[in-house]
Amino acid sequence: MMPLSMVQAGESGTIKKVGGKEEVRRFLKNLGFVAGGSVTVVSKTGGNLIVNVKDARVALGSDMASRILV
Amino acid sequence: MSVRIALAGNPNSGKTTLFNALTGSNQFVGNWPGVTVEKKEGRLKGHKEVTIVDLPGIYSLSPYTLEEVVARRFLLEEKPDVILNIVDGTNLERNLYLSTQLLELGIPVVLAVNMLDLLEKSGDQVHIGKLKEKLGCEAVEISALKGNGVMKAAEKALSLAREKKAAPKPCPFQSRVEESLLRVQEELKGMVPEEQKRYFAIKLLERDEQIQKLLPRAVDAGGEIARLEEDMDDDTESIITNERYQYISSIMQDCCRKAARKDTLTLSDKIDKIVTNRILALPIFAVIMFLVYYVSVTTVGDWLTGWTNDTLFGEWIVPGVSSGLAAIHCADWLTSLVADGIVAGVGAVLGFVPQMLVLFLFLAVLESCGYMARVAFIMDRIFRKFGLSGKSFIPMLIGSGCGVPGIMASRTIESDRDRKMTIMTTTFVPCGAKLPIIALIAGAFFGNAGWVAWSAYFVGIAAIVCSGIILKKTRMFAGDPAPFVMELPAYHLPTPGNVLRSMWERGWSFIKKAGTVILLSSIVLWFLQGFGWVDGRFGMLEAEQLENSILAYIGNGIAWMFAPLGWTQGGEGWKMAVAAVTGLIAKENVVTTFGILFGYAEVAEDGAEIWTRLSAVMTGAAAYGFLVFNLLCAPCFAAMGAIKREMNNAKWFWFAIGYQCGLAYLVSLCIYQLGTWVTTGAFGPGTVIAILVVLGFFYLLLRPAREGSRRPAGMKMAAGGR
Repeated sequence: MMPLSMVQAGESGTIKKVGGKEEVRRFLKNLGFVAGGSVTVVSKTGGNLIVNVKDARVALGSDMASRILV
Repeated sequence: MSVRIALAGNPNSGKTTLFNALTGSNQFVGNWPGVTVEKKEGRLKGHKEVTIVDLPGIYSLSPYTLEEVVARRFLLEEKPDVILNIVDGTNLERNLYLSTQLLELGIPVVLAVNMLDLLEKSGDQVHIGKLKEKLGCEAVEISALKGNGVMKAAEKALSLAREKKAAPKPCPFQSRVEESLLRVQEELKGMVPEEQKRYFAIKLLERDEQIQKLLPRAVDAGGEIARLEEDMDDDTESIITNERYQYISSIMQDCCRKAARKDTLTLSDKIDKIVTNRILALPIFAVIMFLVYYVSVTTVGDWLTGWTNDTLFGEWIVPGVSSGLAAIHCADWLTSLVADGIVAGVGAVLGFVPQMLVLFLFLAVLESCGYMARVAFIMDRIFRKFGLSGKSFIPMLIGSGCGVPGIMASRTIESDRDRKMTIMTTTFVPCGAKLPIIALIAGAFFGNAGWVAWSAYFVGIAAIVCSGIILKKTRMFAGDPAPFVMELPAYHLPTPGNVLRSMWERGWSFIKKAGTVILLSSIVLWFLQGFGWVDGRFGMLEAEQLENSILAYIGNGIAWMFAPLGWTQGGEGWKMAVAAVTGLIAKENVVTTFGILFGYAEVAEDGAEIWTRLSAVMTGAAAYGFLVFNLLCAPCFAAMGAIKREMNNAKWFWFAIGYQCGLAYLVSLCIYQLGTWVTTGAFGPGTVIAILVVLGFFYLLLRPAREGSRRPAGMKMAAGGR
């Protein structure tokens, strides 16, 4: 398991766990970040990511990305 | 029979496009009660008795954001006759997550599956018939962009509403969860309508605190939650979320066939790889912004503005009105009021409209093609450093045209803290109406040097950055900006209709201001400077008796306040004071007021006629201070109104205005006092005060952050907060 922020651009992974505070977790789940789902990192700038999850593109700040474990 | 259709869907699913296609221009825009979330309603084309309510774009019916709370309160309490749920066909799995929740409300649902044409291009297929069967609700394939199938979807919804069809069947969970739900539903007996029971039971299991408030008496689901969590080894909310996604994937397996693709990256992904690239992102953004401003300010915009000012108003309307009034032998004072007061005042403002519309047109194109969302993402990295979110950047871009729509654009920022900070700082960006002031000062004092204009933008940006850093260290704004999460829509060609609509909505808020605030202030100003006491008698004044006007009395009364800023050296300080005060009403007034005060009925946009008069009564340092004061102080009445609406709280409104005016005063005090010290060597008590202010500023800027801000960032998106 590693935080999503460590995944390289172009690589995919399966979400193992979504951490963080309850509201954060809930919001991420509503956006499609659920355990067992797959996620692909499209691009990386600084620590910020653009990922593909459930066919949607979502931009994540580095602090958010580090709470998603793949 | 009147029918109400609620239009629900994810952000970026094409909801606004569908709403526009269904209602045309027949729309009313307002706010949801008590909050600053926009509420749009419209009549269905060809059906007068059918109202369509556009719910805010939401991802779920949890109480996570204000939009969700508003949407679900409407659905539960007002019970629309039918829900038209638009889902993005290219992103079905995530979009259906909301649908599974809508299906639980006991209201008939029609699924409008959008953008299937795009999906089919990529080789994937969605079987609408099977989708209908599986979900147990009606489904129609539409293309909101092209207008295909939209009326069919609306009519389907209409017929469901008329037949009073029974509610659809909600998505089933696994038996252990259903057991718990049944038990909670037992508790709810008689408290909520039969068809809403399941929804309430689910929300109670999810520990949704907001839902308790809708119940006549408290229901304790604690025991059931504990048992369920014990059995399933997870928290209830995750259990239910997972159940939903599992149900959706089972549907997807039956209804969707994905083409095997070698290339997993879509076109949007490929574009994103370039425009959000670590190295290229900022240069690309800078080039795009340069083009936008170059075209809207210097070429097309300049040409249009010139035409409006010189030809439309200069040659047609103003002389036309004057000769028209003369022809009907109108009283002198009335002619003066209409021609010099109203037409000149309002005309000066309307001159900006074309330029602003061009700018808003470009921004609307960038927004609707999907690039703006990327801009927020790119800028987030930078803005975060001084306590703002990347989402704050879009209001500021719009604010460079007009502050009113800029402030309104801050609505899209979910976090209460980030939004308030954005509202307070957006108007530091020089808006279109501040440009003539810059031109006036640059021309009168600095030989038209280009650095004056550049420095004005620099001052604005510096004010935003410093305010961000200072405010984030206060108790009110402690903590970091909310973590950045934003869905990025797929890139697509904007539709002319949507772009023009957005351009017009923003431009209109500016035109409205010309028609209301500025119209009124022109009349009041005209009165205040045209009437006064001569030899103890009150009456209308001759042009050269301006010193006796009411305005002069007021100006003299307040001029002392601006003495430390160096405005009163020339003995005509009241004119600066009056100009600054009229600037609070509308920044467009400043140059015109100077013109009037220095004895010109009408001056060019940059006030070229009064350059020499003005430079005789102020030093360069004082003049630059005057410029900065106008850039930073509270914006015009219209923008203050927007701040009041968006803050939705009197205390916060006054704090914002007070902060802006205080900052403006102190900065221009320092500029004058220190500028004078450097240029002439004069050192006085004012200089000491200025040095103290600068030291205080550095203390606020550099002091360590409060304890609170070291805590991990909390997402204060709670509904009650706004």
